Amino acid sequence: MILRLLNRACVLSGSVRLKSTLSTFFDEMGKSGIILKSATTGIFENLALEDWIHDHVDLQNRSMLLLWRNSPAVVIGRHQNPWQECNLPLMRRLGIPLARRRSGGGTVFHDFGNINMTFFTSKKKYDRHRNLKVITSALKALRPDLEVAATDRFDILLNSHYKISGTAAKLGRTSAYHHCTLLCSVDRSVLSSVLKSNTSEVIKSNATPSVPSPVRNLLDVDPTLDSDTIMNAIASQYSNEFGFDGPVITVDPTHEALMPGIHKMAQDLQMWEWIYGRTPKFSVCSSLVVDDVTVKLDMDIKNGAVEQCAMEIPEDWLPSEMVNEFTSALNGSKYCPNEAAVLVAAFTRTVSVTADVAEKIHRLCAGVVSVM
Amino acid sequence: MAMCAALRCVSANFSAALPLLSRSAHIWTCQNSLRPNGLRTLYTSSRLSGALKFTDKHEWVRVEGSVGTVGISNFAQEALGDVVYCGLPEVGTKLEQMEEFGALESVKAASELYSPLTGEVTEINTNLTDNPGLVNKACYEDGWLIKMTIEKPAELDELMDEAAYEKFIKSLDS
Repeated sequence: MILRLLNRACVLSGSVRLKSTLSTFFDEMGKSGIILKSATTGIFENLALEDWIHDHVDLQNRSMLLLWRNSPAVVIGRHQNPWQECNLPLMRRLGIPLARRRSGGGTVFHDFGNINMTFFTSKKKYDRHRNLKVITSALKALRPDLEVAATDRFDILLNSHYKISGTAAKLGRTSAYHHCTLLCSVDRSVLSSVLKSNTSEVIKSNATPSVPSPVRNLLDVDPTLDSDTIMNAIASQYSNEFGFDGPVITVDPTHEALMPGIHKMAQDLQMWEWIYGRTPKFSVCSSLVVDDVTVKLDMDIKNGAVEQCAMEIPEDWLPSEMVNEFTSALNGSKYCPNEAAVLVAAFTRTVSVTADVAEKIHRLCAGVVSVM
Repeated sequence: MAMCAALRCVSANFSAALPLLSRSAHIWTCQNSLRPNGLRTLYTSSRLSGALKFTDKHEWVRVEGSVGTVGISNFAQEALGDVVYCGLPEVGTKLEQMEEFGALESVKAASELYSPLTGEVTEINTNLTDNPGLVNKACYEDGWLIKMTIEKPAELDELMDEAAYEKFIKSLDS
């Protein structure tokens, strides 16, 4: 079963020739508006699905809405600095992955209580306000007393104060996509703790910053508003707003035969070089305290790698040759705790040091790694 | 003959200072600085005039010697809105014509940039790091994005000149 129709009982297997891709299937459908729902909850698969549709589906005379949800993940904008935007050590401890999307905008936290919507159109038909109107109208159709409105920053606010949706977009060669979140029943305590960086004060960067806002879940104001109800209302309103008719089609973004190349797109999105390496150049300037000694650390990070590393350490605590060896070991390495730990451990094995010095180096390394 | 010998000598001196230029570009740069009138006739005037050529993606290229300076047109910067970040490639990146080489982030969206030519990036406009608004304020001058070598000069002939581009954007409004 490649595709399932959600709202209708009929099944597509007969009419979809396996040689077709999703793109040709849409062409054959002949509909000018299509609503899709993703069958999976992996952030990388879903981001790849967006990219695949954007790159392969003819959107000149057709618009599409994709509805998707993910298991917990933090997603940063294309030109952002993850060290500035979120608490990476906490995310590692909680097993929450970091993804970088191709659209601009700020950092968001996703979990099953968040609905993502992507509006695909030609560049000519790109209209974020109209898309957000679909969402606010759908919510008001469900609950007429709900006070929700879009701002000129393309956020959606609840009761004029709490952010329930943020927007980002990408303009390509001939088509565009606008995607946004909607907080239905997200775990707000996890959201606020992962979106608070542990190192932003020590970072100097010109990456695009997020604008933090107080948030609320729709479920907080109305416990009967669950994600499925909201998704159905949005699908319905989308069809009304744009004059489309047609069922909601579920798509499995891991189906390579249907979407050739999508697997590689998902792999590319998981590469360190994309997630961390695309961070605009930044510098780290920090005072660490190791063994009651103050260590001044200065690093320039380019493409996610240490371009330059300098440390000021009292000579009587650690001799300068050791400090130089340490900083040399880090030069050119990925700005990554595992990599740093491995490199420092390797260098302590190659130079002959006393146990005491080795331990100091180990603790110094732990201090440096704490800002990664 | 003497001219050729002189050019070879000069290009040898340049090679230390300009490692990023390709071999053929070496010689062109040397010729430019020596201004040998006899050789000028080998090249068409559009490559020497510094006139702008445009793509249908609203990028422009200005050719000066063997280097093309690339930016976005006024039409594009107006459509983009205020640029808040310029995501540009590394020097040395090799680009194919129409290949995506970066993105400009504005309040509107992250808009991808497409290379007008095949070549190698020789310089990026570092002023845009602290002042991305230059792309809006001076899109044809200080708001340039990258400089690149021109591996396939014939590609320039496929691009629109200013008059053709003006016509093209008028047709978009309809």
